[in-house]
Amino acid sequence: MTIVYNLSGNERGAVNAAGTVKSLGHSDICTDEVLSDALALLGNHGLGQYVEGWLLETLQVRLTTSVAPEFWTELKQPEGESQERDRASALLKAFRNLLQQLEPFLGGLERLGSWQDESRGGLCGPGARGLTERAFSVIRAILLFSPPLVLQERVLEFYSRTFSVHMSQAGEAVEAEEGTTEHDEGGLCPGCAALLHLCWCQEALEQLQELSHILSRLQLLERVSSEAVTSILHKLIEQRMEQRCRGEYESSFLTDFNDWLGQVLGWLSRVFASKVEEAGSDATPTDGKMGHPTSALLQRWHCHMHQFFCRIYVNMRIEELFSIIRDFPESIPAIEDLKFCLERTNQRQQLLASLKSAFETRLLHPGVHTSDILTVYISAIKALRELDPSMVILQVACQPIRKYLRTREDTVRQIVGSLTGDAEGCSDLANELSRADPVTLETQDSEDEGSDPEDWTPDPTDALADKTGSKRRSSDIISLLVSIYGSKEIFINEYKTVLADRLLHQLNYNTAREIRNVELLKLRFGESHMHYCEVMLKDVADSRRINTNIREEESRLPVEEQATLPLSAMIISSEFWPQLKEEKMELPAVASKAMEDYTHRFEKLKAMRTLRWKPHLGSVTLDVELEDRTIANLTVTPIHAAIILHFQDKGTWTLEELSGVLGVPQEMVRRKLALWQQQGVLREEAGGRYVVQETSSCRERSDRGVMLIESDEEGDSNTATQSEQREEKLQLFWAYIQAMLTNLESMTLERIHSMLRMFVAAGPGVTEMDVNELQAFLQRKVRAHQLIVSTGVYRLPKTTQ
Amino acid sequence: MKVKIKQWNGVASWLWVANDENCGICRAPFNGCCPDCKVPGDDCPLVWGQCSHCFHMHCILKWLNSQQVQQQCPMCRQEWKFKE
Repeated sequence: MTIVYNLSGNERGAVNAAGTVKSLGHSDICTDEVLSDALALLGNHGLGQYVEGWLLETLQVRLTTSVAPEFWTELKQPEGESQERDRASALLKAFRNLLQQLEPFLGGLERLGSWQDESRGGLCGPGARGLTERAFSVIRAILLFSPPLVLQERVLEFYSRTFSVHMSQAGEAVEAEEGTTEHDEGGLCPGCAALLHLCWCQEALEQLQELSHILSRLQLLERVSSEAVTSILHKLIEQRMEQRCRGEYESSFLTDFNDWLGQVLGWLSRVFASKVEEAGSDATPTDGKMGHPTSALLQRWHCHMHQFFCRIYVNMRIEELFSIIRDFPESIPAIEDLKFCLERTNQRQQLLASLKSAFETRLLHPGVHTSDILTVYISAIKALRELDPSMVILQVACQPIRKYLRTREDTVRQIVGSLTGDAEGCSDLANELSRADPVTLETQDSEDEGSDPEDWTPDPTDALADKTGSKRRSSDIISLLVSIYGSKEIFINEYKTVLADRLLHQLNYNTAREIRNVELLKLRFGESHMHYCEVMLKDVADSRRINTNIREEESRLPVEEQATLPLSAMIISSEFWPQLKEEKMELPAVASKAMEDYTHRFEKLKAMRTLRWKPHLGSVTLDVELEDRTIANLTVTPIHAAIILHFQDKGTWTLEELSGVLGVPQEMVRRKLALWQQQGVLREEAGGRYVVQETSSCRERSDRGVMLIESDEEGDSNTATQSEQREEKLQLFWAYIQAMLTNLESMTLERIHSMLRMFVAAGPGVTEMDVNELQAFLQRKVRAHQLIVSTGVYRLPKTTQ
Repeated sequence: MKVKIKQWNGVASWLWVANDENCGICRAPFNGCCPDCKVPGDDCPLVWGQCSHCFHMHCILKWLNSQQVQQQCPMCRQEWKFKE
């Protein structure tokens, strides 16, 4: 009050009044009347306008000098003490004191504000609302200018505790609580984790209510709590999800979580209790009802929580998406949940990137079998079809798979195998094939005119730009698989090979299943493409008829003229079958005689036509009768039969002799002999001689050595493999290349390629051959010294010219 | 030792006994079928002329029908007469 002495008389009176007004801060001491008088006096001296500034100033000084430091020391006081309960009450006490200290000011301010509103005593100013607002910002500014961490920690701890108390009271075993060891210790309150007789749940809730009141009175509620509440919610949702949902794809968690979030909202309404009351909610804040329409704040928090939940859920599922896909269709609930949440968060890009890299690291490496890749791909198609009906995710995320499958040689064979249902455990494709109303591959590319323009939906933004529209993005599994290679010809050719193999292997003329498959494939690929397969099946039926015919004719012959060898034949139209492996082989007389007879009868049956036998193909069922045992109904290949027939005539053969009489390389004979050694019929003796083992006495002994030799028959395919056929095609080009190089001396790779394209364009092979393939082929020729390459230019070696 | 063959399933391809590989008219292999047919063999037979040239039956019939004046073998221009 030093300035007082410098003031004039008038002013001295004003200062006295100011002293009175000062007691505005202690309103309980002075009466309203005294205050009004003082104010009037101040107004008379023209000082009324300073009252407001002075009051705020005093508040500020008081805050900085005593209130705020006191508050912080009080808050920090129980440092080192480990009792959570004590810390909670310390927190409350600190705030309680804070309120107590500030309450007079608040009261005074209110009063001043209301006077201002009434313009009593010539006062003017921002009014009650403006004044309190200003005061509160002063409080916030000074008190929370640089809040020590301890406040956040305490508040967080306290809120976490009340949260778990609330949740346990809300009738749920709180597992989502921090510190999972608590379940194991008996006799603990599930809410406050204290021993039951020390339970302070109720106390905590009361404390919470009081704290909320204090904070909202000071308008600090959101300031102090928001961060803590946010982090608690985040942490708890995450924890709960981690415990409940991770690795669990077979049930939906949305409703479960919704209920849970409802309970959490009950807790939130406790935290923000007074706010709710202020908002005029008629619901009691503690009753735990969720989402009361009038409480905008709770509504906002509810939205926040939901957003948290979706985001956390999507993050987790994105991480697990590969496993989810692998588990499809069991994982449908997880996918539906994910779809729901993904629509609410903007995380498609993240999902795509993560799924792509998951495919690359977990699936697309040499250690994974092609059929497994295909299985996952098919699951991915089905799963992503559910997740994103626009198919964009599918298209983008599976790009690497398709690219990779293109590099695997056995992809086509695997697909065809599972299409026709031979591949074990992979009946998906077979089912897909026999599905009603298939998408034909013919019409699929054409514009779909029937669709209603009203139904059009734009592509998501992450769609690949190069694709012309969602019409082209098919979800049909078979078309997707077939389009891996871009052409169905490859598939049809492969199917032909598979079909030929199967028909030649079973040889029982039973084609019901194959006919069904061909019919189904016809629906997909179109009639004209399956024409060759139909001819193949017809050949089988014709062969059966011819066989019956010839058999009948034979049976009419006198007994002595009847064939010693019951022969039936599969007669094929060579132009329509895939190329069969050509092997030379001499059959024993008895077999070749039977075939000759058969051919004669065929020629009689079908004028001007004859048969060309493929002696190495087919199968033979035979009994081997040895002195002490008989091996009955053994089904072997013709070459096996030929070998054993030779042993019938003569007990001992060397490899050379057999090779000579069969017209087959020795190596092959040795491999084929292994079967008979395994059967214990033949035995290898010193000097490379093979003898018949008439008695089984010493059979066991010889077995051991022979079992190691693998008999390789089962996996053998009768048809030339794709790469062999390909090689043959390239050989055809070799003639052209040689001719070109003879004329033009030297050419670059590109030149050769374009020349080949020009000259051999008619052939089916060249359009499919790219430069890389040609280069590989030329490299092989270079290695075989049939070609010379220098500085990128190919030429023929001198000697061949 | 005695080997008793119970059943021998052989594989053979049929072919026309002709002096050429391809039909002179449609240039498709004899063992295939003419462009109008789907199934080779019985359904698309070969015929021989007295000049010893042979064609898919459908091919030569089409050819003969298109000839206005005289029916000649497309290969040797002799008058076409079916063998037999």
